Amino acid sequence: MNLRESAGLSLRALRANKMRSFLTLLGTIIGVMSVIAVLSFVEGLNRFVSEKMLNAGANAFWVDPYGFVTSQEQWDAVKNHPEITVDDADALRAGVPHAALIVAQADGRVTARYRNKEVRGVEVRGRSPGYEVVDDYTVAAGRQLGETDDLRRQLVCVLGAEVAEELFPGLDPLERRVRLGAETYQVVGVMASKGKMFGQSQDRFAAIPIRTFLKFKSDRRSVTIAVKSRDQASLPLAQQETRIVLRGRRHLRPGVPDNFGITTSDNVLDLYRTLTGGIFVVTIGVAAISLLVGGIVIMNIMLVSVTERTREIGLRKAMGARRRDILTQFLVEATTLSLSGGLIGTLAGVLLALLAGALSPLPTAVSLPAVVMGIVMSAVIGMFFGSYPAWRAARLDPIEALRHE
Amino acid sequence: MLISVRELHRIYQVGSEQVHALNGVDFDVGPNEYLAVMGPSGSGKSTLMNIIGCLDTPTRGSYRLKDREIGKLSDDELARIRNQEIGFVFQTFNLLPRADALHNVELPLVYAGLRHEERRKRAREALELVGLADRMKHKPNELSGGQRQRVAIARALVNKPSIILADEPTGNLDTATGEEIMAAFENIWKAGNTVILVTHEADIAAHARRVVRMRDGKIESDTRDGSRREAAEPRAVAAGPSGGMA
Repeated sequence: MNLRESAGLSLRALRANKMRSFLTLLGTIIGVMSVIAVLSFVEGLNRFVSEKMLNAGANAFWVDPYGFVTSQEQWDAVKNHPEITVDDADALRAGVPHAALIVAQADGRVTARYRNKEVRGVEVRGRSPGYEVVDDYTVAAGRQLGETDDLRRQLVCVLGAEVAEELFPGLDPLERRVRLGAETYQVVGVMASKGKMFGQSQDRFAAIPIRTFLKFKSDRRSVTIAVKSRDQASLPLAQQETRIVLRGRRHLRPGVPDNFGITTSDNVLDLYRTLTGGIFVVTIGVAAISLLVGGIVIMNIMLVSVTERTREIGLRKAMGARRRDILTQFLVEATTLSLSGGLIGTLAGVLLALLAGALSPLPTAVSLPAVVMGIVMSAVIGMFFGSYPAWRAARLDPIEALRHE
Repeated sequence: MLISVRELHRIYQVGSEQVHALNGVDFDVGPNEYLAVMGPSGSGKSTLMNIIGCLDTPTRGSYRLKDREIGKLSDDELARIRNQEIGFVFQTFNLLPRADALHNVELPLVYAGLRHEERRKRAREALELVGLADRMKHKPNELSGGQRQRVAIARALVNKPSIILADEPTGNLDTATGEEIMAAFENIWKAGNTVILVTHEADIAAHARRVVRMRDGKIESDTRDGSRREAAEPRAVAAGPSGGMA
């Protein structure tokens, strides 16, 4: 008896008992479906992160008092570090030849008003010139913030697309005066829209010069400094130069640790990988349990099938089927069964991922390795859990099997 | 000799007790014989048939089929002999319910390892032989009892075995249909096959040319029906094909 025939035979049996087959396969279907759906989500996140987040932060690092803190112990060690100031940024601009751009930045939140209109929860971004490169924005109308704006602490702003749209519907925002909190700013530019990320608008902000920000919007002097190196190769050199400049300004002797922190996109990526790794492990765990249950159900139904078809087994043996023919037949049946579950689960998982991608802000991308893994796994489950019933069938005594009622 | 049985014993262990199902049986069957084995239940006739059908092996003694000692063979070798040399016909037909007549008849050929086209061809021929040319695509539940048993007979014949072994082949059929089936066996025998019937009905056994009666695990009598002997004269057909083995 060849494989194709056995598989065809068991597919016919599957179709003959649709409801029973479906219930039998539910565990496998859910297991494979959840693996595919979650891995597609992780894959989507991966692509999103590598395309969007890292584009802006490519060849960049950030200097602040604390660095990348991920635990209480780390925080205890760094919480008393001195502030990073705009003067530090100026010093870096002079002392880091491998940097292409140095941007001091600080953020706050205000309500923006124009005449009787107001937009709440607008992010005020204090920035030094060149910030649009680091933040990855392009100006749609007007101009960017310049050096003079900063040094003179001018009350000027560049609005995010959403703020401009809501405050000035049908109007040209340029040269109009908008209140951001307590002060009134002149609009000199409007940014092109960047759309949403994880459901959050990226266009609900107003950028003002960093020195203006520090004068009016902050009681602290501390800023974060973004440093963008000339290229990939000069990134470590720029970091090195940054440390030398800052240590010099703080009079740190050799051997004393830095009292400031440098965060690279690698730090963020590492954390991200840890997080998604966690998701991955949990998914595999959940999937493993449902596949185990699914496998046991398949084993059970195959045992029932062997009992139901004892006479058929006896007959086949009388007709000359060897043990291995019977074994193969039932193994193929179990595998066909669970593989069908795997295929249905794959289909459901892919649909679920695509649906989630279409209806929610979650980015999803169907992961091919996950699909392959899901299908291979379901086949292996069938073979593994089918082997005991198949073995029972194969060693049935033909006389007793033929006599079985 | 096609079948040669000597001092055959079969002992079952039932709990702590030993049951002598066969207690020293000797007999021979030549090619193209038409033989009925009779006996009450518990006489050992089923055990004897299981051993002749290579479904079971003797505890002691010798069973030679076409000069080959069966008692020493492995499970897989027994399966091969059942496939090549034995055609079974059962009381309850034992057809695969989901498969059509053609597919049911093909079954022994599947295990003989024949290619699909060849199997189809031979299964068709066998079904035509039993007069079911127009029922090939019917499933068992679409056939009458007599038709089902004829499918089973076609299945028994399809691989051209040395022996057709029929266990109460009319037990589940009414008298008229039973006669029809017995006529089919008569034809099979006349075509040169060896037929062994197991039955407890005397009028069914009367169709055979030789009747072996069993009691308590032994052969009680072995009679040839002289009046019909000319038709079954072994020498007259000895040169002819006995199934496909010649």
